[in-house]
Amino acid sequence: MPTAVQIAERAGYSVRSIFERFPDLNALRVAATDYSLAQALALAPPRGADGDRETRLRSQVTTRAHTCERGIALWRVLLQFADQDETGQLKQRVARSRETTITRMELMYRSELVALPEEERRQLLIALEALTDMESWARMREQHGLSFDEACEVWIHAIDRLLPPTPVPVATSAAA
Amino acid sequence: MSDAVQPGDDGARPSGEGREPRIDGRRLRSERTRRLIIEAYIALVRETGHMPTAAQIAERAGYSVRSIFERFPDLTALRVAVTDYSIAEARATGALRDLDGDRLTRIRSQVSQRGSGCERWLPLWRVLSSDLSEAPDLQQRIGMIRQLIVMRMEMMFRPELSLVSDAVRKKTMLALESLLDFESWARMRELYGLSFEEACSVWVKAIDRLLPQTPA
Repeated sequence: MPTAVQIAERAGYSVRSIFERFPDLNALRVAATDYSLAQALALAPPRGADGDRETRLRSQVTTRAHTCERGIALWRVLLQFADQDETGQLKQRVARSRETTITRMELMYRSELVALPEEERRQLLIALEALTDMESWARMREQHGLSFDEACEVWIHAIDRLLPPTPVPVATSAAA
Repeated sequence: MSDAVQPGDDGARPSGEGREPRIDGRRLRSERTRRLIIEAYIALVRETGHMPTAAQIAERAGYSVRSIFERFPDLTALRVAVTDYSIAEARATGALRDLDGDRLTRIRSQVSQRGSGCERWLPLWRVLSSDLSEAPDLQQRIGMIRQLIVMRMEMMFRPELSLVSDAVRKKTMLALESLLDFESWARMRELYGLSFEEACSVWVKAIDRLLPQTPA
C-alpha cells in the first residue's frame, strides 16, 4: 500500500491535493478499487459464450487468467485492508468482485449448469469460484512456477472435470 | 517439587550408576514458559483474529515482556515457534483415517478432517501467513504446511491418482490444493454462510468430480 507522499509524487500533485479529493486513504482505496473493478470488467468482456464446451472453457479461463495477472497485487492490498475498514466498503467490493466471477461462470457454462438442481448448481459454482480464485492463480505462477499457458491448462482440466456433461443439441440428437 | 533445581545445577552432569537420571528442572521450567508463551499467542489469535502484541502475549501467559524476549529474539522468531508448535499439534491430532475405505468413504474422511482443521487453524493460518516478505523461515514453514496438505491428499486418493499420467496427476493435485485451501473454506463459511456440513458437501462433490475414476 503506497503512502500519501508516494501517491502524490507519482501523480504529480501535492499531498494536500489528495486529501482535498479523498477524506482519507481508505476513501482513496475504495475509489481505486471501484476504478479497478470497472477496468477489469471493461478489459474482460465475455467472449465465446455461444461456442462449444472447449471454446467456452478456454475463453473463460484465459479471460480470468489475464484478470488475475493484472489484478493480483491490488487484490492483495484490498484483502489486507478489507478487515480493517470500519466502513465495510472494501469488504463489500471483495464480495461484489467474487459475485461477478460467479455470474461470469454462470453465463459461460449455462448449458452445463442448467440441468442441475438449484442447490447442486450453487455448490458447483462455489467450487468453481474457489478453484479460479486470484490466490489459486498466484500459487500456480509464483510457488509452482507454471507458465501462463500451463496454469491455464490446470484450470481448463479441472473445470472440465467439475462441469456436468454438455447437453447434446436437440437438432443433432434428432438427426442422429 | 519434582522439577526443583539447586542453584548452579546445570543438569548436564552424568548421574551416578544405579541412580535415577537427574531431571533438569530449570530447563523444564524454561520449556514450560516457552510453551505457555506460544499457547498464549495461539489463544489470542483465536480470540481476536489479529496478531497479538508482546504486551498482550505476556499478560495472557502470566510472564513479563522481558521473559518473552529472553526466549525469542523477536516476534518473528515467536511466530516461527508458534508455527512449528501448530504443525506438530495438527499432525498429532490429524492422523490419516479410512485409507483403505472405498472412494466415497475416503473423500468424506479427507473432507471432514480438512474441514475440522480449517475451522481450528484458520485464524492462526491467516496471521502466520500474512506479511511473509521479511520472514524466510516462516515462508519455508508455510510452504511445508501446504506440502503436508498435498501429501495427505495424495495418500488418501492414491488409488485414483495411481493410474493417470504424471501431467494429469499434477493438474488434479493443483486443483485439489486450490479447492481445499483455508480461504476456500473460510469463504464458504463466512461469505456464503454455509454450515459445516454444507461446506463439507461442496468439497465432497467437487472432489468426487475432480478425481479420476477409481480402479476396479
